[in-house]
Amino acid sequence: MRRFTGYFLTGFVFLLLQTAVLPRILPAYLRPDLFIILIIYLSLAEKYLRGGFIAWLAGCLKDVFAGSTLGLHGLVFLLCFLFIKGTERRLNTESSLLLVILVFFGTLLERGLMAATLLIFADAGPSWQLPLRQLPMQIVITPLVALVLLITVRWLRRYSLGRLVIPGLRYLDNRYGS
Amino acid sequence: MREFFSKYRVLFLTSVLLVGALLMYSANLRKREHTSLFEKTVLTVTAPFHKSIDLAWESVTSVVEHYLWLVETAKENERLRHENLLLRGELDNLREVKLANHRLRRLLDFKDEQALRALPAQVIAEDASSWARTVVIDKGTTAGVVEGQPVVNAEGVVGRVIKVGPEEARVLLITDAASAMAALVQRTRTRGVCRGRGNSLTLDFALRQEDIEVGDRVVTSGMGGVFPKGLFIGEVVRVVRGDYGLFQSVEVAPAADFSRLEEVLVLSEVE
Repeated sequence: MRRFTGYFLTGFVFLLLQTAVLPRILPAYLRPDLFIILIIYLSLAEKYLRGGFIAWLAGCLKDVFAGSTLGLHGLVFLLCFLFIKGTERRLNTESSLLLVILVFFGTLLERGLMAATLLIFADAGPSWQLPLRQLPMQIVITPLVALVLLITVRWLRRYSLGRLVIPGLRYLDNRYGS
Repeated sequence: MREFFSKYRVLFLTSVLLVGALLMYSANLRKREHTSLFEKTVLTVTAPFHKSIDLAWESVTSVVEHYLWLVETAKENERLRHENLLLRGELDNLREVKLANHRLRRLLDFKDEQALRALPAQVIAEDASSWARTVVIDKGTTAGVVEGQPVVNAEGVVGRVIKVGPEEARVLLITDAASAMAALVQRTRTRGVCRGRGNSLTLDFALRQEDIEVGDRVVTSGMGGVFPKGLFIGEVVRVVRGDYGLFQSVEVAPAADFSRLEEVLVLSEVE
């Protein structure tokens, strides 16, 4: 329950940042997708069912303030989660830097799935191209933000003398951890 | 059967979740202008946070712009110079008030031109994704806002309300890819459908033989039942007529400046 509350609060803070704070300081093409960081983290730290449900819920939460159809991000985030979770066992999850690399590929995957979903289900016309237009900038910006978040979390853990427990992150730091 | 289920439990439940997510999305595709209980709840919860962030941001920028730099300069200069800077700060403040006054006057003039009830609202947040084009306004059902109402500003059409909570509502901008409205070229009365393309608009289904030139004004046609007739949408910036085909390709630059959207009017019919 504590973890679930943590994910929910993180999603809520990300939502407020993406709707009310970042638009005031950054143009649309430079705004990172903070939710994809949460989805990648979920796929590394949570099991299939629980993680999948939280990923879908996070997508629906984003949908309330993104686009015009409830469930689009929910579906795409769930697919992203399942895809990354499926490849997780083949990866070296002992380094937390993996999170940053996965955010790069996760952003590619999310935009690709978004474009495919719009192409198959949504309106006629080239609306599916829109998520791909900002892809080159997004695959740079979002991993950079993930790196900054990772450094901040490590710094916070160091200065809180290990009292600050980030669920799941300890599994990623077995070998190269702070 | 029980053994089979327990063996493939995760696979089965994950598939159920995936199918459920797909069904929910496909069901909601047909109900875009309907606010579900989940959306209403999230809009209700986030409204005070959005308003607080908006208020805090306004206060901070006001302090930074009008006072903070004056305080820093005062430490480096003599009393008279400090006083002079304070006066300049006041002047800046007055300029800002003058600009706000000008904007609001234009809005009021615009409001008088419409035979509709116009509810002023403030833009307090933007779309959570970087590719869709929606904004959040600080008025909801308690102020009489309902789904489908047109939203304008002094420059022209802004969009239409798609989701409403008690204290805030979401507006689908005309530049969003999911937005389409019946339009006509003011000079030649050529009809078409204005669709969003992210940052610009296209006028679809304008017949190839129709006379459309760069600089022509495009207005709402009143068909479709959302936007009243004659609202300014934008100006034609590009016309391409192919050698064959039924329609010509027309690009329209929206009249409203969406990068500086602050105050808007939500229109509704006078009862």
